[in-house]
Amino acid sequence: MKRFGRGIATIMFGFGYGEGFPDYSVASIEFAEDNKILVRTAAADVGQGVLTVVVQIAAEVLKVSPEVIRIIPGDTHLTKNAGSSSATRQTFFTGNAVKNAAQALLSNIYHYASIEFRSNYAELSVKGGYVFRVDQPNNKISFWELAQKVKEKGEILRAEASFFPRTNKPNPETGRGEKVYVAYTFVTQIAEVEVDTITGNVQVLKIYTAADIGKAINPQNVEGQIEGGAMQGIGMALMEEQVLKDGVTLNANLTDYLIPTAMDMPQFETCLIEKEDSDGPFGAKGIGEPGTIATAPAIANAIFDAIGIRFYDLPITPDKILKALKEQKDKKL
Amino acid sequence: MSTHKLTIEFIINGQKRKIETTPFTRLLDLIRDDLHLTGTKEGCGKGECGACTIIMNHQLVASCLVLAPQADGAEIITIEGLGEKGKLDPIQEAFIETGAVQCGFCTPGMVLAAKKLLEENPHPNIEEIKRGISGNLCRCTGYKKIIEAINLAAKRLTQQLEEEKGKEKNV
Ligand code: FES
Ligand code: FES
Repeated sequence: MKRFGRGIATIMFGFGYGEGFPDYSVASIEFAEDNKILVRTAAADVGQGVLTVVVQIAAEVLKVSPEVIRIIPGDTHLTKNAGSSSATRQTFFTGNAVKNAAQALLSNIYHYASIEFRSNYAELSVKGGYVFRVDQPNNKISFWELAQKVKEKGEILRAEASFFPRTNKPNPETGRGEKVYVAYTFVTQIAEVEVDTITGNVQVLKIYTAADIGKAINPQNVEGQIEGGAMQGIGMALMEEQVLKDGVTLNANLTDYLIPTAMDMPQFETCLIEKEDSDGPFGAKGIGEPGTIATAPAIANAIFDAIGIRFYDLPITPDKILKALKEQKDKKL
Repeated sequence: MSTHKLTIEFIINGQKRKIETTPFTRLLDLIRDDLHLTGTKEGCGKGECGACTIIMNHQLVASCLVLAPQADGAEIITIEGLGEKGKLDPIQEAFIETGAVQCGFCTPGMVLAAKKLLEENPHPNIEEIKRGISGNLCRCTGYKKIIEAINLAAKRLTQQLEEEKGKEKNV
């Protein structure tokens, strides 16, 4: 028999290293000869999309098309520390570093352009890679021409900036503290499942997610992080188990350690809540790990709703379910 | 192990190749190390993950489970064989558009699995798409955007076909 159940779970997640750790990111921006803008950042894009996000941010601040921007990625000769791609921190930290660098560069553009135009900065504006006088929009000079002029003076039109927020250690006794993490992401997920009481198999039918991510700089990426995270959560809830014996993993292969395939995919419905309430770039918060955390408890709650049994250790495999169902039946008799 | 060498011939991505190999070389290694076609990935090396997927004699195969000599006389398509220089295959385009690529490690295999699926079944429903890529693991995306990509590619390819047919009629 198939029994339907629905469960909910909510999590909060403080991201970045937090707790007083010196966590920061440095980025710089300069002009290349081929009419491109170079952003240097060591932030590692492992597929989460941080480099897409920083291109968007730099383009937004400098009012140019994203195609103009090129990244010089992590290289100890060419870039400074951006911290790790972990702790759900890159969009927040490197996003801010790039935003700060773009703003610093923009002020330098205004500074040198006001000298060029013999004008006041307030009379200037930028668009599409040009800086111009607002009252004479045709009287314009491109960023690259300006960079050349600055170079002729023996200076360089570029900017470097960092983001280095302060966090505090929590009180060791109470666990409380002021700003232990830079910000918190909140996620609520609802799981709908079907439990097969004959085979013990659990099929996740649907995962609804509401994520308070401040601002989705790239909504498609954010959805991708949530769907991928939820899928890992499904694996964690129902199938993924590392079997250790005497310190040796017995199932270190994909034959015995099962991860979800496309056949295990539920329907996803995701709602992004954009309150822009953090110090992140444009109010954005991290979504890497938060996408994974609520899924397993939501599924465990849904299984409880379906068959009235609580499981306290993951994964909730068919054999555990069948055993628990039998115990439940025996008790009733 | 003997150092016995043998020469095999096959067509890969439309090109005829003759290459010396050993009876113990995996086709995956021949493709990556000898032909330098590194689009094909190795995940598990055990036929479980689909990262090494290629199309050989019109079949989807895990190249980590095929010995190089078995490819003698075969016709092989790897991810490098899709699209043309400067122009992506419609499946590849759809993957980019829908955000179906995160780390990209599964992508070559996924795209080839999609190609094979759409050749056999140009109008798959969601269940059929899921089954079509069920031999290819993805750890990043949660599969949703990959399925959307294949759905989009199916629509585009059908449209393309109809347009071509329309043109033929007009001629
Ligand atoms: S590497 Fe061949 S299936 Fe995983
Ligand atoms: S995109 Fe990373 S494994 Fe699929």
